[in-house]
Amino acid sequence: MSNKKTRYFVAVMGTILAVGLGTGLVASYMGLPVSVFSRAAGPEELQYVPADAAVVAYANVRDVMSSQLRQRFKAIEPSQDEKNQFEEKTGLNLEQDVDSIVAAVIPKDGMANNPAGSFLILARARYQASRLEALAVEHGAVVSDYQGKRLITHQDEDLNDPTPDNMAFGFLEADLVAFGSVESVKASIDARATNRNVVSNNDMMKLVNEIDNANAWAVGKFDAIAAKAGLPAEITSAMPSISWFSAAGHINGGVSGTFKAQAKDEATAKNLRDVMGGFLAMAKMQAGTKPGMQQLADSLIISGEGNSVALAFSIPSELIDILEQMAKGRQPGQIQQ
Amino acid sequence: MSQQKMSFVGASRRVFDLSLGEMLWSRRTIFMALVVGGPVLLALIVKGVEMFGMSALRVNGQKVAGIGIFGVMIWVLFLRFIVPVLGVFYGTALMADEVEDKTLTYLFTRPIPRGAVLVGKFLAYLACTFLVVLPSVMIVYFLLVPLSEVPGTFGNLLVDLGLLALGLAVYGGVFAFVGAFFKRPLVIGLIFAFGWEQVVLALPGYLKQLTIAFYLQALVPHAMPSDGVASLLQGMFRENPPAWVCLAWLFTYLGGFLYLATRVVEKKEYILEQ
Repeated sequence: MSNKKTRYFVAVMGTILAVGLGTGLVASYMGLPVSVFSRAAGPEELQYVPADAAVVAYANVRDVMSSQLRQRFKAIEPSQDEKNQFEEKTGLNLEQDVDSIVAAVIPKDGMANNPAGSFLILARARYQASRLEALAVEHGAVVSDYQGKRLITHQDEDLNDPTPDNMAFGFLEADLVAFGSVESVKASIDARATNRNVVSNNDMMKLVNEIDNANAWAVGKFDAIAAKAGLPAEITSAMPSISWFSAAGHINGGVSGTFKAQAKDEATAKNLRDVMGGFLAMAKMQAGTKPGMQQLADSLIISGEGNSVALAFSIPSELIDILEQMAKGRQPGQIQQ
Repeated sequence: MSQQKMSFVGASRRVFDLSLGEMLWSRRTIFMALVVGGPVLLALIVKGVEMFGMSALRVNGQKVAGIGIFGVMIWVLFLRFIVPVLGVFYGTALMADEVEDKTLTYLFTRPIPRGAVLVGKFLAYLACTFLVVLPSVMIVYFLLVPLSEVPGTFGNLLVDLGLLALGLAVYGGVFAFVGAFFKRPLVIGLIFAFGWEQVVLALPGYLKQLTIAFYLQALVPHAMPSDGVASLLQGMFRENPPAWVCLAWLFTYLGGFLYLATRVVEKKEYILEQ
């Protein structure tokens, strides 16, 4: 080749290409867990969610509770008596003490008959552990230890029930409680201890990683739930072939969010996009010149490529004002006037 | 004493060897470095912004994933701008530069087939642009796409690299012919790439089949961005012929125009202005 300078240039550029291709090929064939080069996405509580969870949802309760939207609706909330009673017994103020909640669905056989057995809820809050434990024991719960964690179990009293709902809650950390069936709570403790949790599920974590600026979200494997939920064949056959879905929202003065679905093939995704596009066009026509509805319809954006379909929406606080006024205008008393 | 004429392949290789260094260290390379450095700089900014916990691009308040930004860059920066512009500037200059610098005589008086001059220079153009554009795409990809998403998106990157390479080759071939045949090739090239192709793609009908962009864009694995009126119109009238049809046409364009360019160089009497 011409000269030394050219040879060096070719070597450097060739090396960049070769390193990039090599890294990509190794990653594609061997896979890279999310945590290898970066901090795992999502809240820390995900380390307590078993790896076989089909749906994971998260809500930043503190954020939602202090949002402007929530403050608007606070004024029209019913009496505070029930809340006060709950706080008196448990020492837990749902509005001030709860930081976040993670919920997971772990599909099991017979889930349709015993849905509670498949749920796991992880709540981070400021607890008065001894007070909660005493209250549970007072109501017939049994306290035990599992892997060094305090586990409070409540046996199902219906002896004729073939699938008894033995529920439990366990203190995973001083400010973190797991609630669900005994098996789910134990699985949660095991998930963290053995490091075999949902964080190692690359498909799930990829979707979690894409979520940003959301104080409430859910991610899940749609077909895993549909298969175990015991839905009638007529319904399952009519449902589109969706494998993964994610929904994320941000609540403050208004509400904005995105719903994403991963279809099993491109044709299904295209059909879904077309159907949604049709609905969107109809909604825009129906909205007509009504300012609130038109703004809402305009905020809907359908996107996606290949197997994916996404719908984004945004409801600004001004639009909620308009909708509130429209709702007030439709109150029976005012119509009669 | 008569010299023995070199074979076509051997002559092409010699011209390639000579031209690669010249092409890489010419003033035109500064332009290419600026053009290709732009996306790398943008990707660095996006990465920097994300390192501070912010997101660089949002739609309806929601973060656009790294692969989404990469897809937009492939469309808007590389396919619609960098590939045609490099094709025009380098392709038209393959012969035109020699004519302008009045150095063509020195090449044509060598005992080599005249067509080999063009083929050797074309191969040097390919090496030069591949060595600058493809590593730049690779850097942009690894800056924008998190490593955890590499397994799911690497296939698309390979398609992108192949597509850009093919685009550079086809545009280069077409403009090599333009440069060999016409007197003001740069103007004609710019009109073709940024006039004819853009207008025809935004119109209904069969005329878009007379463009390179039509076949290239049908092979892109990323969603077409709607970043302006022209894009919206192009999206509306976009057709996606099967991949094999696109590849067949692109290779036909490449082979056909390269052959024509070689024939022109062999037959044409270049008059060097004094």
